[in-house]
Order: sequence, then C-alpha cells, then structure tokens
Amino acid sequence: MSGTLGIIVDITLNSLVLSGVFLIVAIGLNITYGLSRIMNMGHGALYAVGAYVGFSLVASGLNFFAALLIAPLIVGVIGLIIERTIIAPMRKRSMAYTLILTYGLMFFLDGSIKYIWGNKPRFIELPGFMQGTLPILGTDYPVFRLMTLLLIILIMGALMLFLNKTKIGIILRASSTIPEMVSCLGVNMSYVHMGAFVLGCVMAGLAGIIAGPLTTIDPLMGGEMLISSFVVIVIGGLGSLRGAVIAALLVGVVQTLAEFFITDLAMVIVYILMAVILAFMPRGLLGEGKFE
Amino acid sequence: MMNRTTTIPGIRSGFHPVKIVFIIILLSGLAVFPFVSGNRFYISLITEMMIYGLLAMSLDVLLGYTGLLSFMHNAYLGISAYAVGLFLIHVSPTSFWLACLAGIAFTCVVALPVGWVQVRTGGLAFALLTLAFGMMFHTIVWKWYDVTGGDDGLMGMPNPDISLFGIYIGNSGDPLVIYMFTLIIVTFCFFLTRRIINSPFGAALEAIRENESRAAFIGINVRKYKLLGWMMACLLASIAGALFILYKGYVGPSTMSAFAGAGVLMMVLLGGMGSLWGPLAGAVFFIYIQDYISTMTEHWEIFLGLVVIFLVLFMPTGFAGLAGHIRRLRKE
Repeated sequence: MSGTLGIIVDITLNSLVLSGVFLIVAIGLNITYGLSRIMNMGHGALYAVGAYVGFSLVASGLNFFAALLIAPLIVGVIGLIIERTIIAPMRKRSMAYTLILTYGLMFFLDGSIKYIWGNKPRFIELPGFMQGTLPILGTDYPVFRLMTLLLIILIMGALMLFLNKTKIGIILRASSTIPEMVSCLGVNMSYVHMGAFVLGCVMAGLAGIIAGPLTTIDPLMGGEMLISSFVVIVIGGLGSLRGAVIAALLVGVVQTLAEFFITDLAMVIVYILMAVILAFMPRGLLGEGKFE
Repeated sequence: MMNRTTTIPGIRSGFHPVKIVFIIILLSGLAVFPFVSGNRFYISLITEMMIYGLLAMSLDVLLGYTGLLSFMHNAYLGISAYAVGLFLIHVSPTSFWLACLAGIAFTCVVALPVGWVQVRTGGLAFALLTLAFGMMFHTIVWKWYDVTGGDDGLMGMPNPDISLFGIYIGNSGDPLVIYMFTLIIVTFCFFLTRRIINSPFGAALEAIRENESRAAFIGINVRKYKLLGWMMACLLASIAGALFILYKGYVGPSTMSAFAGAGVLMMVLLGGMGSLWGPLAGAVFFIYIQDYISTMTEHWEIFLGLVVIFLVLFMPTGFAGLAGHIRRLRKE
C-alpha cells in the first residue's frame, strides 16, 4: 500500500496534527496562567465539554462549521460563569487553594459529562467532502486531518494578530508584565482576569471540537489532555507562549514516534523526556512568563 | 531584653494534660472496640480509616509543613502495595517483615529520582509534575498486564503469619489481627512524625513553606530539605501501602488513579493543613461519607467536586482551623 516514504509522510503529518491540538490546549492554559496566575486544572474537562457540545450540535443536524463556531462560545459562557462564581473570590488567596479549587471543578465537570452524555464513546459525523483521502507522496492522507492542520495554523495566526495588533491584545500583554502599571492607567484588572480566563476556556472548547473527529470522544479524554498540556507548558516554561509552541512540537513528535514504535507505554517516554529536560533546565526551555 | 522562654513557632514541646488523657482514652477505646463490638464491617472500615489517615498525614507533611502540593500521593501507597504483593507472590510467601521492608525500600528507590527532579522546580511546577509522574505510574500499572495484572489488579496474594522475635502474633488474613497491627503501626507513625515535625528539621521545613528565599538566606539548603521532606512523606505513604495490601489482600490500578488522589487531598483539606491530627480526622470523616454516599448514587464524582469547591471557598482551614477558632473564642 505505502512505502517507506509514505510512512514517513504519515508520521510527520500525524505528529504535526497532534502537536497542533496540544498547542491550542496548552496556549489556552498559558494565557490564563500568564495573565492572572491561575492554573486551571479544569482545563482538560472544558476541552472535553467542547468536544461533547460539538457532538451534540452536529448530531442535532447543525452544520459542522457552524458547530465549530458555537461550541467554543458555549464553553466560553460556561467559563464566564465559573470565573464569576468561584474563581474571582479566590484571587487574593495562595496558589495552592486555586489549584485545589479547580481540581474540584475538574471532577465536577467530568462527573457532569458522565451524567449528561454517559460513559459511551461518541463520534462526530463529518460533512461528506471531508471524509475522503488525498494522495500525498505515496500515502493516502485523510482530508480532515489536513483541514485540521490548516485550521490550527489559522487559529494561531489569528491569536497572534489579536495579541499583537488589537488594543485589547496589547492591554493583555502589558498586564502580564506589569499589572500595577496597567491598573494605574485606568484598566479594570478584574475584567482583564475575567477576559483571560474566558479566552483560555474558549481555546479549550475550540481544541475540543477540532480534536473530536480525530479520536473518539469519551469521558477520559479531558484528563489525558490535561496531563499532556501540563507536560507541554512545563517543558516550554510556565506562561511562555513561544515556549509552548516549541514544546508542543517536541511532545507531539516524540509521542507519535513512541506510539508508532512501542505503542502501549508511549506516554512513559514523554514523561522521561520531560524529566530529562527539567533536570537540566528547571524553568523549562524558554523560562517562565515570557508572554509573547 | 529577650524573653528566653519564648517558644519558636513550630517547635512545640510536650502535650497538654487534657490531650494526654484524650489520646489514652481514644487509643484504649480503639484497642478494645473489636472485642466489644465484633461487627466485621466496622472493624474493616476503621482499619481503612486508619490506613488512609496515615496516608493523609504523610501528604500533610508535604503540603501543610513543607508547602509542596502533591496531587497523586496515593501513587506511592499503590507502588508500595504492589511491591509487597509481588514480593509475597513471587519471592517468598511467608516472610512478612521482609515483604514490608521490600515494599518500603522499593517505594523509596522509585521516589528518590522523582523527588530529585521535582524539587528542582518551583511550587506550581512541582504540583503539575506530581500529577504527571503519578499518572505515569498509574499508566504503567494499568498497562503492564504481565506483572501487575492490569485492570484486574493484583490477586492471589498469600497471607503470611506475623511474628515478632519468634513469637507468633497472628495470621495477616485475619481482620482482627490486621486491625490491631494497623492501630499499633499508625499510632507509632503518628508520634514519630510528630516528633520529627517538632524537631529543628521540621522547623526548617516550615521555614521553607513560609518563605523559600529567606530560608535560603539563613543557610538552609532548600533543595535538600525539600527532598528530605518529600522522602519522608513517601516513606510514610509506603508504610500505609504495605498496610493497605495486607488489609485488602488485593490492589488494583484504581487505588493509584487521580480520582483517589483527589480523595486524599480532600482528607487533608477537610482536616486542615499543618496539623497532624487534622488529616487523620479528615480521613475518618471522608471514608465514612464516601461509604455512605457511594451506596446511594453512582455520580459520586460530582459530589466530590462540589465538596472540594465548597471546602476551599468556605472552610479553607478545615477541622483544625475550626478547633483553633473555638480555642481563640474561649480565651477572649
């Protein structure tokens, strides 16, 4: 069917797609952390919520592309409610409390998912033209995966434009470096924190519906993705956006290779990679908190 | 001038007489209980409470005293339990003490390099790393079917006889024997931990919790002390693990899951960080409630999440904090 070249192309594209999904989830976490110093343990569960909401929307007969827009918005609204009710009162307390609080949030969301959608694995049905395959260099690659890759690049481009060119983006970046100064200039920091949390949630939901058709949707997906994105942001440096890009590529490639060669214990290789990097660079590849 | 009798915070000496009486009554009550009641269900429930109390206490050494958050402390209980079980199955089905020692030693050998990597990072990254490593151990145990039995867990463990200095005490398959054995070991560990925490070593850990850079300035080797605190917590967890498999006679991967880890964290929160008896009380309460709710609903996860959120928002100091409030109110 396909020769060595085909396998190489396959692995390269697969690892790029995986890296892309990691990247979007990890960037969402990093935005929240970089701007408001809150590490959201419920991020993985929100990613799963995004996938499940996407599934329900598509199953109810909505166009896939419309679902792609609506699902992240719904997750964003959920994020807004969470922020206003439980995260905002916690800002003055120490980090350990917010970590444990959002850990509780994760179990609540995971439990709710099981309550609403059950334990059965689900699949998102794709529109017809995306179901085929495209011959590239000796292999037939699914069109949807290529579309995903394109979409991820588009999202990252849009995010970069947003952070660098719009006024809101510039305020966000400034608040990550000197929050006191920004607050003195008349920006309400509580809105900045809220915006950062909601933006993080929207990214999680977006990643969820993008990744949904790539794999099956099951209640465990959130936890797995949470761990993977932690590995990514710890390797890249907490709160560092560029670090996340590099680390996502690294983890994506290593995990795809490990899955190809040894299948079962692939994640162990990724953890060992992380341990080695941290042993020599305790603050991650690019250091902490470079928000750009 | 300086008041010489001022005690350094953290170094507390001796027990209050009322507390001594209370502890003696509690211990003798627990020791007599199985002979009075004879209800098998309560005997095994209390054994489980004591084992998880020990685990919660060991997490508190890390969280409440050193200020390091571990999400998956139960992983070290699991590793120790598996090691003890595997030793009894494959190496020697009769040597009880050797098996316990092997389990504890193996856990320490695993925990040392993990701790070495973890203490290099700061507070938040430390917490994330405990989760990543914990999930790694969970995955290994879950997927390595040939050794660990995978999803089915480790079964068919023989029950060795417990004897000390040649005197036969009882068979570890007997719930009563395990109950008494657990009671003695947990009590011993409690007083030992209390002694260690109240020593200069414990004060150094608390200094690190309060302010890491200041602790470094007065000459405390922060990484070394963090690693020592981590190893102490893992050692206590491994003792709990050995007790756990002797009590259950079985261990499965769910013991090492993130969900179980959250349970342990909740015991510490419920009881109150930074007091050794708090987590013990938290464990007693948690195991009881878990036993009660899980018979009523299968959506225990939602409740766990809600209770954790509620605790952090409204009762961050737990039972120990409530006790402190009451004491302060009385003084006023």
